[in-house]
Amino acid sequence: MNLVFHGKKIEGLLAILPANERLFVDEMDQFDFPRARSLKLKEVMGYDRHRIVDGAVCVSDLAVAGFEHLFAQGLLGRDDFDALILVTQSPDYLMPATSSVIQGRLGLKHDMFCMDINQGCAGFLIGLYQAFMLLEQPAIRRVALVNADVMSRKVSVRDRNSYPLIGDAASITLICRGEKDTPIHANLKMDGSRREALMIPAGGLREPSSPETRIPHADDEGNLRARDNLVMDGSAVFNFVQTEVPPMIDALLAAAQTNAAAVDAYLFHQPNRFMLQKLADKMQVPYAKMPSNVVEHFGNSSGVTIPLALTLNLRERVLGETLTTVLGGFGVGLTWSSMLLPLGPLAFCDMINYPQVS
Amino acid sequence: MEDFLKEMADILDEESVNESDRLDGFDAWDSLAILSVIAMADSRYRAAFSAQQVRAAGTVGDLYRLLSASAKAG
Repeated sequence: MNLVFHGKKIEGLLAILPANERLFVDEMDQFDFPRARSLKLKEVMGYDRHRIVDGAVCVSDLAVAGFEHLFAQGLLGRDDFDALILVTQSPDYLMPATSSVIQGRLGLKHDMFCMDINQGCAGFLIGLYQAFMLLEQPAIRRVALVNADVMSRKVSVRDRNSYPLIGDAASITLICRGEKDTPIHANLKMDGSRREALMIPAGGLREPSSPETRIPHADDEGNLRARDNLVMDGSAVFNFVQTEVPPMIDALLAAAQTNAAAVDAYLFHQPNRFMLQKLADKMQVPYAKMPSNVVEHFGNSSGVTIPLALTLNLRERVLGETLTTVLGGFGVGLTWSSMLLPLGPLAFCDMINYPQVS
Repeated sequence: MEDFLKEMADILDEESVNESDRLDGFDAWDSLAILSVIAMADSRYRAAFSAQQVRAAGTVGDLYRLLSASAKAG
């Protein structure tokens, strides 16, 4: 479906990364694969290092640290936002919502619309749509959108299919009404019939976690994972992305009555460098316009990868000028979505480590 | 066919491969190689293949016929 929003803008953005960094070459021996093949995988996919939480760190820990930083730096007043949206697949609890946990830990005011959304790789876009809709309410002046996941805690360390690319991270994006009434065009599709391409089979109520669901089994390739772990059908996801994303972007540009020449940057979800470069080839977009380096620096942190692609590659530009960006998210659900967004000048576009070294 | 054999040799980390070579005889015939074949099919033939379809091909020649048949059909 096509969506259109008016008079909304992103004000600023902060990414929070676990300080703990792991190198692919140091982790190769935990996989049941020949070293030469793992090195080939590293080269082809663009794996190098990733950020993984150290110990039992939760989504609310990353988010609270991020908010405290914004408050301390004077980038956001404690009472200056009226909605807190959290997009995550790795909540602190089944209930209550982790957005309520964050609100409570920060001691925020009660005039606050807290909401959790269960979304992954398209989660930055889904969160923005929700923020834009909330800003139709006069009582809501500003929305804080938190994207956060600690998926490393749900991925088997012996699963070469998923572990090398996973990353933990959070981001806080501030959204408010814009002065200009320029439309923001977007589109969105979902296909729940392909839901098993990316899933954690056990641990919900359909298949409760038990001693059996914790036992790792080898798949056909030799990846060891349990039913409690994330499982990804890599080739199905690859085909999904290459088939669905290029026509989605064409449809977006057509609906907005613009064309690819007007786009300054394609900020897409970052599954790995390989998939993004194949996508750029297919869309005939120069690599310079489509960053693909988030996984090699930080890993794939689901809904946080678009904020990371922005802060890592376009920080200086987006602080000083307005860029015409195409955002693209695609993954779990399955969900795929894109947005033509004028972005900047932002008040801030920063990255901090968790925990912060003082 | 020659281009295809060159690309397969690259994917399989071999100097060269022949039509009659069995795919499961190569050490490098793993999920990465299969994904590389799927990506090649996408860029070369504009066709989407599942890992199961690719894995079911017995020899390098079988794989070539599987992929190129889709190109003709498309």
